Amino acid sequence: MNAVIRTENLVKRFGHVTALDHLNLEVAQGETHGFLGPNGAGKSTTIRVLLGMLRSDEGRAELFGADPWKDAAELHRRLAYVPGDVALWPGLTGGETIDLLGRLRGGIHRGRRDELLERFDLDPRKKGRSYSKGNRQKVALVAAFAADVDLLLLDEPTSGLDPLMGAVFNECVKEAAAQGRTVLLSSHIMSEVEALCERVSIIRKGAVVETGSLAEMRHFSRSRLVATLKNPVAGLEGAEGVHDLRTDGLNLDCSVDASALDDVLARIAAAGVTALVCEPPSLEQIFMRFYGDELAAHGVQEEQAK
Amino acid sequence: MTATEIEDGLGTLAGTGKLLRFQARRSRLYLFWWTAGIAGFTFMTVPVLADQYQSAAERAAFASTMSSPAMLSMSGPMQYVDAYADSIGALFTHRMLLWTGAMTAVMFVLLVTRLTRADEETSRSEVIRSLPVGRRADLAAALLLSAAAAVVLGGLLALAASGLDGGDAASALLFGAAHTAIGIVFAALTAVAAQLSENGSTATGYGLAALGASVLFAGAGSAEGNWVSWLSPIGWAQLTFAYTPEQGWWPLLVAAAVAAAAVWTAFTLVSHRDFGQGMFAARRGRAEAKAGLRSATALTFRLTRGLVWTGVVTTLLLGLAYGSVLGGADEFADGLSEAQQAILDRGGNSLQLSFATTFISVNAIVAALFGVLVVGRGRKEETVGRGELLAASPVARSGWPGSYLPAALVTATLTNAVAGVGLAAGGSAGDGDLAGKILIGTLVQLPAIWALIAFVFAAFAWLPRAGWLRWLAWTWTLLVVYFGGLLDLPEWSMALSPFDHLGNYPAEDFSQAALVVLTAVAAVLAGLGYLGLRRRSLHFN
Repeated sequence: MNAVIRTENLVKRFGHVTALDHLNLEVAQGETHGFLGPNGAGKSTTIRVLLGMLRSDEGRAELFGADPWKDAAELHRRLAYVPGDVALWPGLTGGETIDLLGRLRGGIHRGRRDELLERFDLDPRKKGRSYSKGNRQKVALVAAFAADVDLLLLDEPTSGLDPLMGAVFNECVKEAAAQGRTVLLSSHIMSEVEALCERVSIIRKGAVVETGSLAEMRHFSRSRLVATLKNPVAGLEGAEGVHDLRTDGLNLDCSVDASALDDVLARIAAAGVTALVCEPPSLEQIFMRFYGDELAAHGVQEEQAK
Repeated sequence: MTATEIEDGLGTLAGTGKLLRFQARRSRLYLFWWTAGIAGFTFMTVPVLADQYQSAAERAAFASTMSSPAMLSMSGPMQYVDAYADSIGALFTHRMLLWTGAMTAVMFVLLVTRLTRADEETSRSEVIRSLPVGRRADLAAALLLSAAAAVVLGGLLALAASGLDGGDAASALLFGAAHTAIGIVFAALTAVAAQLSENGSTATGYGLAALGASVLFAGAGSAEGNWVSWLSPIGWAQLTFAYTPEQGWWPLLVAAAVAAAAVWTAFTLVSHRDFGQGMFAARRGRAEAKAGLRSATALTFRLTRGLVWTGVVTTLLLGLAYGSVLGGADEFADGLSEAQQAILDRGGNSLQLSFATTFISVNAIVAALFGVLVVGRGRKEETVGRGELLAASPVARSGWPGSYLPAALVTATLTNAVAGVGLAAGGSAGDGDLAGKILIGTLVQLPAIWALIAFVFAAFAWLPRAGWLRWLAWTWTLLVVYFGGLLDLPEWSMALSPFDHLGNYPAEDFSQAALVVLTAVAAVLAGLGYLGLRRRSLHFN
């Protein structure tokens, strides 16, 4: 598979602050890739390097196999971008802005534009200065989804949208994916990423700490196992791969590493099972694992976070 | 009663005291640099002028060069000139007050916009308004802070002027108080402007337009010695006649009355509008873009359209105003003694031509200002993040933000031409030869204008954060034209201004070599600018 986005050991410093610290990111053609991290982790900086707005200090970034700094204008023909905080020209209406951005890319499909305006419930005749944050975001979203491009770079695009518009947004991303477009969706809204993305990269302090398909991540993570047994089971205490074990008579609640699941289930089955729930970790739990220490530093217990 | 309860009792003014401290803290660097700049300039010029015009005879000779309507329009009323021989303070006040007064006005227009409308526009003050703070508190705090700053500035200027002979302590105080009055009046007028418009840059525009009108009216009134000066806050300051026998405080009462009326208007308006809205509601616009809006360059020209119109109107008025002064120049010369004419006719040229020369270069520098402002708009696209959508479009850096260079060049070239046409139309009185000379003289300015703008553009490209550098470059050219000779600035420092090399056409010949060299310098700086834009990161907030 061709990588549409590839960075190798990307480093970007702002004065003494290292915003990107050897960041490796790869997004294959046609995939919808979730880019997860809290504010300040380096998501926007990564995207701005990929857009050729910022020059990296070390490492390499590639977009469609080319250098985004050198060939920015050419590459931009093939992509559309929605910034996290959209600033519009105060004197231009939303409609004018959408048309201008479309024309810069070589033309805009009228029908598609009007359909999107309708779906996002956006008034194109208002001036940029009178739109709310959510509506400014919609202007950029309509311009992006109306564009005939191979790649969509979306930087926290739903932070100002209400849940209804969030649903419209999800639909539009799915359509784009169905048309074979590649999407990089930076977000800290887990449910959105879970619903849309097949692959995910988790970024922390300027480096990608985990990347892979959601299925893989779940596979390599702990599942939560809750069971009511017929007879007490012995030997789970201290067994390899079993964590946070709590037993209350015949009730059992623990987390189990994927590698130990076989063994644990065999023991439980031997004891006899009345009820059993085994759930894979949510993306949120996977995410929190990488930020557990930071949460602890903020005084949040890991249990609570889950 | 606790402090909070006392403030609760203030209703819509509750929290003013706390906001005042907060705003003072936020603005301390701004206030420091502006105050230091204006007061420092004054402290520096006092000893230089006192040294240069020590004897009454020297001052009398200088008075005869200053008493033409043209020179009066760029300084102040004739009453000061009559007092030159007896008072160095009169000479100083006459030459400086218009300019330091105008700088003071700029300081307070920008300060009040920053503290009121600009905050409201960016929702910063939304946070404040949600606190137990009255609806009028931020406006009240901004005005109180402005008044305090104006008093401090006035005090420093009075201190600076106290080193001058030819007046008493009251003269120096009056010189300072005149600046305090200008500061407070413009702060109050800007407070009204900030209620009318929804965005900060328009409010600043209204404030600066009021200043432009003030300078024009003060100049016109001074040239003719008539009532027109009374239409201008700067005129009121001049009419105090500090350091002259006519010295008096009461014109400042007019300033106080106007400031009070403006403050009352602003407070009334603030209660009659919604947060974030102006008195003039934003209109709805087009659902689709016009066919012409299809490139970054087209967008740049569209976004700077308002600024271009402001420039065209300003320079047309400026040209016409100077033209009317120029028309009276020969009459004035006829009334002078031969000795006085000899002083004025340096190089054996007519008075009219030497005035035309001065006016043409002032016009050119004002025209260049609009070009500098256009480049500043380019920088603003970056700082407020609007350029981000364009930077992610298939547009080369030379197209955006590079298109701000052609926009700036076109703007300055156009406004310079308009000023020249205004000057020729108003000043030649049907004399085709003079009109032709004025128009050629106006064209001669272009390479210097281009070089200045190209420098400002290169500074924007390589040192985007150093906004002061762009302003310093423009301010320097103004200083050299107005004060270069007066302050006896070193030759090399005057040579930094591109306008210094043009020769003094039509009074003297212009330098063809300089035109070629300056055009080449402009081209090189423009090339450097484009190179810099290609090489640097774009930082959006």
